[in-house]
Amino acid sequence: MIVRRLVQLPLIVGVIYTLTLVLAWKVPGNPLENPEGRKPAAEVVEAMKAQYNLDNFWKFYWSYLDSATGVKWVRESLSGEADRREREALESGLIPPARFVFDLGPSLQYKDYRVNDIVAAALPVSVTLGAAAMLLAVVVGVAAGVVGAARPNSIADLATLSVALVGISLPSFVIGTVLLLVFGVWAAALPVGGWGKPANMVLPAVTLSLPFAAYIARLTRMGMVEHLSSDFVRTARAKGVHELRVLLRHALKNAFLPVLSYLGPATALAMTGSFVVERVFNVPGLGQHFVNAVQNKDLFLIMGVVLVFATMLILFNLAVDVLYRWVDPRIE
Amino acid sequence: MFRAIVPVLLLVALVGLSVALDRPQPPADLTFGNGNDVTTLDLQKMSWMQDLRVARLLFEGLAANDVFTDGYDPVPAAAERWEVSEDGREYVFHLRPTAKWSNGEPLRAGDFVFAWRRAILPDTAADYSGLFMFIEGAQAFADWRSDALSEFARSRPAGQSSAARAEAARELWAETERRFDEMVGVRAVDDRTLVVRLDRPVPYFLDLCAFATFYPVYPPLVRQYDRLDAETGRIIAEAGWTQPPRLVSNGPFRLTVWRFKRDMRLEANEHWWDADSLAIRSIAIPSIEEPNAQVLAFRTGAVRYLADVTVPYRREMHARKQEFYREHWEEYVRLLGEGHDQFEIDRRLPDDPRAHVHVVPAFGTYFYNFNCRPALPDGRPNPFADARVRRAFAMCIDKRAITEEVRGLGEPVARTLIPPGSLGGYESPGGLDCLSDASDEAGRAAIAGRARALLAEAGYDDPSRFPAVEVLFNKDAGHDLIAQSIARNWQKRLGVPVRLAQKEIKVFRDDLKNHNFMTSRAGWYGDYGDPTTFLEINRTGDGNNDRDYSSSEFDALLDEAARETDPGRRMSLLSEAERVLVERDLPLVPIFHYCTVTMFNAHELSGPNPHPRTNENIFLYDVLGDGKGSDRVRTMPLHPRGPAAAGVAGSGGGAP
Repeated sequence: MIVRRLVQLPLIVGVIYTLTLVLAWKVPGNPLENPEGRKPAAEVVEAMKAQYNLDNFWKFYWSYLDSATGVKWVRESLSGEADRREREALESGLIPPARFVFDLGPSLQYKDYRVNDIVAAALPVSVTLGAAAMLLAVVVGVAAGVVGAARPNSIADLATLSVALVGISLPSFVIGTVLLLVFGVWAAALPVGGWGKPANMVLPAVTLSLPFAAYIARLTRMGMVEHLSSDFVRTARAKGVHELRVLLRHALKNAFLPVLSYLGPATALAMTGSFVVERVFNVPGLGQHFVNAVQNKDLFLIMGVVLVFATMLILFNLAVDVLYRWVDPRIE
Repeated sequence: MFRAIVPVLLLVALVGLSVALDRPQPPADLTFGNGNDVTTLDLQKMSWMQDLRVARLLFEGLAANDVFTDGYDPVPAAAERWEVSEDGREYVFHLRPTAKWSNGEPLRAGDFVFAWRRAILPDTAADYSGLFMFIEGAQAFADWRSDALSEFARSRPAGQSSAARAEAARELWAETERRFDEMVGVRAVDDRTLVVRLDRPVPYFLDLCAFATFYPVYPPLVRQYDRLDAETGRIIAEAGWTQPPRLVSNGPFRLTVWRFKRDMRLEANEHWWDADSLAIRSIAIPSIEEPNAQVLAFRTGAVRYLADVTVPYRREMHARKQEFYREHWEEYVRLLGEGHDQFEIDRRLPDDPRAHVHVVPAFGTYFYNFNCRPALPDGRPNPFADARVRRAFAMCIDKRAITEEVRGLGEPVARTLIPPGSLGGYESPGGLDCLSDASDEAGRAAIAGRARALLAEAGYDDPSRFPAVEVLFNKDAGHDLIAQSIARNWQKRLGVPVRLAQKEIKVFRDDLKNHNFMTSRAGWYGDYGDPTTFLEINRTGDGNNDRDYSSSEFDALLDEAARETDPGRRMSLLSEAERVLVERDLPLVPIFHYCTVTMFNAHELSGPNPHPRTNENIFLYDVLGDGKGSDRVRTMPLHPRGPAAAGVAGSGGGAP
C-alpha cells in the first residue's frame, strides 16, 4: 500500500501543478508591477517578463518544472557550472550563493527571496503552531467531552456544549482579537504578536485550537454517551468496576477512535489553514502565502506553496493511515 | 490505550523540539516598526518607503540629506567634497579615504559606476531607472542595448550550437561593457575620484545622489548573482546577495539577521567612517504587518518607533492628541509662536500617551485623474478631452468635506499638485476655487453655477444628457468613501449621472495604464527635492501620465526650465507650468496633501524629523536617557511665527 501511494505521489502532484498553473496564469494583473509604485519604461517591463519566462505559458511551465523537480540541479552539478561559481565566490572572500535541489524559483513579490527560503522560514512555524493547537484541542476537547458524557444534561454538560457551540460558530478573528485585548493589552500577561518565544505561541495556539477543540468535544461526548449505554459498560459496572475506570478504560478507549481519525485531516488543516490567526497575531507562517501570493499574482510563490502543501498533505494522510492501522489493528 | 496516545505524544514532541530549537535575539538599542516588510534591499530596484528607510541605514551615497534643515540640504557623505563645473553639467566627486565596505575593503569610485550601470542597463533596470537618464549618453546607451538585445533574440543562425550561442552572448556583453564606458558620462578617474557629466544642468542632482537608487553596491558580491542568459543575451540578476551574512554594505549599519516575515537585525558597521557618532549600536525591526498589531506593539513597549500608522482609528488618535493640546493650550501656543517644530513642542509639553501619535505633512498629494484622450476606450467621444469640462468638474468637489469628514487627520486641502512650502525657493500657483472655498450655501451655488456655465459652453446645455461619468477606484484604504463623496458632489451640483466603478488593485492599475477610465483616484509622492518630481508626470508620453494629458505649452515650459541656468527664473518657469496644470487645463484635480502618521514618545526618542520629505535617517536616532550616545536633542531650525500661530493650531501638523 505504501509503495503504491508513493508511486502515485508524483502523478497527483503533476496534475495539481498543471491545474494550479493554468488557474494562476489567468489571474488578472501584472505580477511585476508595484500597485502604488513608479512605473518602469515599457522595454524594462518586457525585459523583466522575459527574465522570469512570464511572456509565454509553456516556457514558464517547462522551465519551472525543470528547476522544481531537480533536473536543473543535476545538470548544473554535472556540467561543473556550479563548482566554478562556488570557487569564484570563495576566491573573492565571499560566501557562495545558496543552491537548492528542488528550486522553486524566485518570489516576484519578495524580490530578495527565493521561494525555497520563504517555505523554509514559514513551514516550521506553521507546523509548530498547528501541532500546538491540535495538542490543546485534544486535551481540552476530550476532557470536556468526558465531563459532559459522564453527567448528560447536567449543568457541566450544558456548559461544555454551549462553549463548544461558541467555539465552532465564532470566527477566529473575533476570538483572536478578544484574547489579544484581554491577555495582551489589558492584563499585559502575554506578548501581543510575533514569534520566537514560547509565550508568543499561547494566544495563537488557543485561538486556532478552539474550533477543533469544540468539534473534538462533541465527537467525544457523542461516542462516550453511545458506549456508556452499551452492554460491555453495563457489565463492567455490574462487576463493580470503579466509575472512573469505566469512563476512561472502557468507554473513552472506544470513543477516542473517531477522534483519532479526525486528527489526521484536522492537523493538516491546522498547519496550513491558519491564515486569519497568523494575521491577527502576526505569526510568520505559511498560511498567509496562500492568500497573499494569489492576490499579488506571485506565480512562483503560488506554485511553490501549492506544491509543498500538496506533497505534505499526501504524505501526511499516508502517515495517519499507517498510524491508524497500528493503533487499531482491526482496520485493514 | 498506549497506542492511542502515541499520536498525541508525537504532537508534544514536535512542539517541544521546535521551541527548543528557536533562540530569540537579545534586545536591541532601538526597535522600530517599519510599516510594511522590506520587499527588496537591491538598491537599484527599490521604490517602497520601507525599503528606502532600511537602505539609508545599510548604505550610503555620495551625498546625504541633512534632514534637520528646511531645504533638506545635501551634505557630504561617502564623498568628502565635490566640484561642479561652471555650466552645471560636470560633477567631480572625491571619495573619503576612510570610506569602506562592511568587510573592510575600501569603497572605490568604480563601485558607483558599477551600481549606476545596473540601473541604466535595460536588463536589470527597474522602477527608478528614469532618474539616471539625464546622465550624458545614458538614454542613448540604454536604447542601443535594448535594440541589440532584440536583434540578438531575433537572429539565431540556423544550426547554431548552444556553445556558439553562449559565445555570441558573451561577445555582446563585452561589446556592451565597452560601449557603456565610451558612451555614458560617468567615469572613475581613479579609485577615489568619480566624474559625472550630465546632459543638461540638473539643480537637484546632489539631492538625487542622496537617494538610495544612486547608492553603490559591492561589485564582487553582486556579480556572483548575475548570470548571462545565452538564449536571450540578457544579464539575469538572481536574488540572494542581499541576505545576511552575504550582504556587504557601506553605510552606518550592517545586516546581521533577516528572517522572512519575522525580523531584521542591524548592528553598527565598525568600518563606517563615522561609526563613533552612532547613539544606537543595534536596531531590531520586527515584522509586524497588521496595522492594529503595530499600534499594540507600540503601546506595550515592544517597539519604540512606528514609521507608518495606518489603523482605521488613527483619526480618533489624532482627535485625542488635539484634546491633549487643548488641555495645555497656552503653553502650546507659546511654543508654536516661538517657532519650535512639532516634535520639539511635544517634548516640551508634559509626557502623555495621547501625545505619542504624530501627524506629519508628507511630500505627496491625493488627486483625481481625468482621462484626456479624445475618445473613450469604447470609441465614444470623451467629454473630458475638453479642458472646460475638466475645470467644471474640478470646481464641483467639496474637498474640505473629504479631509474633515472622510479622512479626519487634518490634512491640508490641496489647490496645487506640489505641497506648498515643501520646496525652498518655489512659489506655488493659486489654484482653482472649489465648493469648499465658499463659506455659505449661496457661495457654493455661485461656484456650481459657474461650473455649469462652463459645461454649457462646452456644448452640454442639458447635464442629464451628459454621458454617465464613471469613477474608477480600488476598494482599499477608504478610496470608496472619497469616491462616493465626489460622486454626490457631481450629481448634486452639476446634475450629471455618475457611476462608481470599484476594482481590485491590480485590475485598477491595469485600467489606468490602458487609459480605460473616465475619472479615477490617484496619488503621487515626490522622489527628490524639486518641482519636476511632480510636474514631469504630466509631460506628453511620460510613463506615469495615466491621464494621457498632452499640452505643447506645458511641455515647452518644462523644456525651457530644463535649459534655464538661473535658479530663480527656473523656479518661476516651473511655477508657471504648474499654474497651467491646476488653473487652466486640470488633467487632474488635487484633493488634499497627504500626511504621514507616526508614533513615538518625544520625551524618550530624538531623531525623527517632521520635514514633509519624510526621509527618516534612523541612524541619527538617540534613545534619551539610555546611557548611550550624547542624548542631544535634534530639532528643526526655529521659525518664530508670533501670536498669529494660534490660528493654525489644531490642524494636522504645522508647516515646517
